[in-house]
Amino acid sequence: MNAFETAAPADGLSRRRGLLVPALILLLVFAALPALLAGFDKGYFYQIANLALIFVLLSASMHLVTGVAGLLHLGHAAFYGVGAYTAALLTSKLGLGFTVTLPLSGLVAALVAFLVALPTMRLVSIYFAVATLAIGQMLYLVMLNWVDFTKGPNGVIVSKGFELFGVSLSGRLAAYYTVATVVTLSVIAIGRLSHSYYGNALRSIREDDQCADAMGVSTVRLKMEAFTLSAFFAGVAGGLWAHMTGYISPGDFKFSESILILAMVVVGGLGSLPGAVIGALLLILLPEGLRALGDFRNIMVGLVMFLSILLLPKGLLGEVSALRLVRQQLGAAWRTTGPANGKGEGIGWR
Amino acid sequence: MFDPYYLQQLAIGLSLGMTYALMAIGFTLIFGVLNVVNFAHGEIYTLGAFAGLVLISATAPPIVAVILGALAIGALAGFSLERIAFKPFRRFTDEASLKSRAMRESTLLSSLAVSIVVREALEIVFGSQMRSVPFEYLINTPVRVGPVILVTGDFIIFGVAAAMLIGLQYLLTRTRVGLAIRAVSNNPLGAKYVGIDTDRTIITTFVVGSMMGAAAGILMGLYYGAVFPAMGFTPGIKAFVAMVMGGLSSIPGAVICALILGISESMATTFVSSGWSDMVAYGFLILTLIFFPNGLFGARRERV
Amino acid sequence: MNFRLLTLTTLTAAGIAAGIAGSAFAADTVKLGYQLPLTGDTAQYGQDFRKAAEIALTEFNAAGKPFKVEIVFEDSRSDAKEGTNIARKFVDDKEIVGVLGDFTSGVSMAAAQVYKEAGMPQLSQTASHPDYTKVSKYQFRNIATQAQEGPYNAKWMATKGIKNVAVIAEQTDWGQSVVTGFSDAVKANGGTVAFSEFFNRGLKDYRSLISKIERAKPDAIYTGFFYEDGAQFLKQLQQLGIKTPVYSTSAAYSPKLIELAGGAAEGVHLTSNFLPTDPSPNVQHFVDEWKKRSDGAVPGQFPAQAYDAVRIMLAAVEKASPNPTREKVRDALAQTKDFPGVTGKTSFNADREAEKELVKVEVKGGAFVPVAD
Repeated sequence: MNAFETAAPADGLSRRRGLLVPALILLLVFAALPALLAGFDKGYFYQIANLALIFVLLSASMHLVTGVAGLLHLGHAAFYGVGAYTAALLTSKLGLGFTVTLPLSGLVAALVAFLVALPTMRLVSIYFAVATLAIGQMLYLVMLNWVDFTKGPNGVIVSKGFELFGVSLSGRLAAYYTVATVVTLSVIAIGRLSHSYYGNALRSIREDDQCADAMGVSTVRLKMEAFTLSAFFAGVAGGLWAHMTGYISPGDFKFSESILILAMVVVGGLGSLPGAVIGALLLILLPEGLRALGDFRNIMVGLVMFLSILLLPKGLLGEVSALRLVRQQLGAAWRTTGPANGKGEGIGWR
Repeated sequence: MFDPYYLQQLAIGLSLGMTYALMAIGFTLIFGVLNVVNFAHGEIYTLGAFAGLVLISATAPPIVAVILGALAIGALAGFSLERIAFKPFRRFTDEASLKSRAMRESTLLSSLAVSIVVREALEIVFGSQMRSVPFEYLINTPVRVGPVILVTGDFIIFGVAAAMLIGLQYLLTRTRVGLAIRAVSNNPLGAKYVGIDTDRTIITTFVVGSMMGAAAGILMGLYYGAVFPAMGFTPGIKAFVAMVMGGLSSIPGAVICALILGISESMATTFVSSGWSDMVAYGFLILTLIFFPNGLFGARRERV
Repeated sequence: MNFRLLTLTTLTAAGIAAGIAGSAFAADTVKLGYQLPLTGDTAQYGQDFRKAAEIALTEFNAAGKPFKVEIVFEDSRSDAKEGTNIARKFVDDKEIVGVLGDFTSGVSMAAAQVYKEAGMPQLSQTASHPDYTKVSKYQFRNIATQAQEGPYNAKWMATKGIKNVAVIAEQTDWGQSVVTGFSDAVKANGGTVAFSEFFNRGLKDYRSLISKIERAKPDAIYTGFFYEDGAQFLKQLQQLGIKTPVYSTSAAYSPKLIELAGGAAEGVHLTSNFLPTDPSPNVQHFVDEWKKRSDGAVPGQFPAQAYDAVRIMLAAVEKASPNPTREKVRDALAQTKDFPGVTGKTSFNADREAEKELVKVEVKGGAFVPVAD
């Protein structure tokens, strides 16, 4: 860590320069892209932008558990589904609006994750992976077969769009801003979690859980927290999706969606948050962009996935380069607060 | 008197379990024993089935020749799969890469990508509909055993699975090749240092495992009388579950767990709606893992 | 590494650019959209629909009408994400005045939310969700609903003296409507439903389920499945030596059912509204055209429904021309009455549901044979 402290310049100018990349990204998401979208004024582009953002959130939430904590998660789409169903059922049965359903969809997904995590979090490596696969499949079966409650395969119509305390946000631009705000805030939260001492503790589980245990890291508790948090954000993504499309059915949350999200995280680079974001963008935009190829487009998607992992086996933006980027650009907190005397007074992000 | 209905369900469960076991054997050899994350085994299975079907419709050979053809395609597919999706990732031998999580999981994505390409290509070439197998090749003539009805295919599958299992166990525990495979899986670098040709060992494992996958594919095609590009998906998941439940590296364990899965599914159909029967199988898996965190027949976890 | 990243990015960007450039079009034509699964697990259905639509379109454009029609096919993969993307894309294209599809109800329903908002008429050849046409006044479908087919079959079975039936159906919205539509009618006719259950679509092994059905000792089994699942079910029924008669819906009506199930399909009763053996010229014309494009294979129920759906849409466009708008096409669709299609005469009722004439069919000697009862 000292290497980072000494490498990072401590003067005010570079601190300001240090905020350049995040400022640019925010500018892109909240000014340039909406301006572009409004310029084209195509519902299609808005749709793709919103969909891509939702999958950015899904991919980022999986990054927390699979990338940082190193737990192969094969049932993530189910928590996305739990969130979506929470929002949809609250809307259709109780008539609640987006302001209430969005936090609840995250919380319910987190609660379900917590409950299923209780007995299974002691598992390690592939045993954990197959347990998440089973959990995901079981949740999917509940959505599909519990017809009285979830309406089963008939799906649920969500009659209300985005709103904030009764103010409708269902216009194209307003909807985009809603999705973008929720996703950006969540990704920032995930970023703070994964680039902190907390994130490092999670990484220690990934690198060697027995060693981490011996050093006093409570691995089971951390795993549960990571799993639950990741389900929370997946649930939020589900809430966004439910209100965005207006109709959900169990088919939206099947196993292949979990694999798609996993592929996003791996293509982007395991352990790298910017990578997870790029991976999500790639795997949502690519199939749409390749429509001109007709029936061959999915072969192309497979080939691009293959080439990307072949050429960049650590991901499009691997963990090490991602960490360097994040620490350079958002490095203020990593530096010592006092004079840069190398005494190790860095506060880090707790 | 015991209700023959339950006996019939038990028999169905066993035969269902055997079909999962058939797939699980080759899968466990590559994924569990060699310890390589391989998501493309289901496509090998499908390729085997299509190879058999093409052979049947082209020349109508005897059934043994069909299976031999499928085995040949399986061997070829296994070889190519290893070359395309796995070999490139062994070019990094430095310690950082070996320890990097991203590197370890990269074959997950490369094999997944290959499986997507193969499945999509099959869909374009053959269409995604079910293709029928000529009836004279089917192995589903009913056979009555006491109060229970089975089909000829059940016995053939039992025979083939048993032969595969015994053959593999012999190979792994009694021959030098098997020793080499286990050494490579335990510690690839160490195996290299003591003079084992790791590349060749890995290829051998892939070829053998994929031949078994392809054989399973064509047998299932003949058993159910339908061949289609997505046919490898469900058995792939079941085989994966059986392998992990059995303790990853134990092939007999995977077979036993495949049978347990089959029986629990068919028995569950008795008590709950058919739509829920998978729930019982997955619930069973979770329970097993809670009480046996390393699978039913897994070795205790070693320090890496 | 940056170079590699650049290569990948360029590749992606090139693909996307190609996609945008590909949407150039001629100006003097009317455009329709067709969203359907052309890849993925259900691609076989989508590919058939496209073939049927191309037959209908070629005929229309060859008939010397004052304008030409172009259909834009987009692949939804039976995925709601892609389905809504396509819906937005179609809505954006101001020249598109009507949309056909999608195949599965889930995707059709998700896309319907977009079309509802945009006022785009949507005609699906297969969407069977009970609430599909209730989404808005823009949703139409060219399929006999189970509210019609269920009672029809129940009556048929009652006339055959079948009192006690078992019902199974796939666990989809369509399967749900099969069971409710049929069971209610059976009970109304004074019969009993001994057994009723759903199975997950694509199940390979029905033997456990079959054994369970047999324990309930029904007089007949009523089944809601598509032909692929149906073939597996029938084969395994035969394996287990069960002779209980099987009744099914028009969804199982496909020559592929007999091809896949062989002798096991013998004696199956089902309903249909399309008979390739029908001597009427328009049916024979369609069957001939289909055979030309599919190596002599005979079309089943679904392609016929798609063919009619496209022709109904084309007729509506013609009626709405000159200068058809989405609203005019919708109104023209709603007025469709006794459209002479290959699946019989089609009219849309006030709820935009197609009223179909059903015929009874039995498999005899490896072929579908119409029967009086």
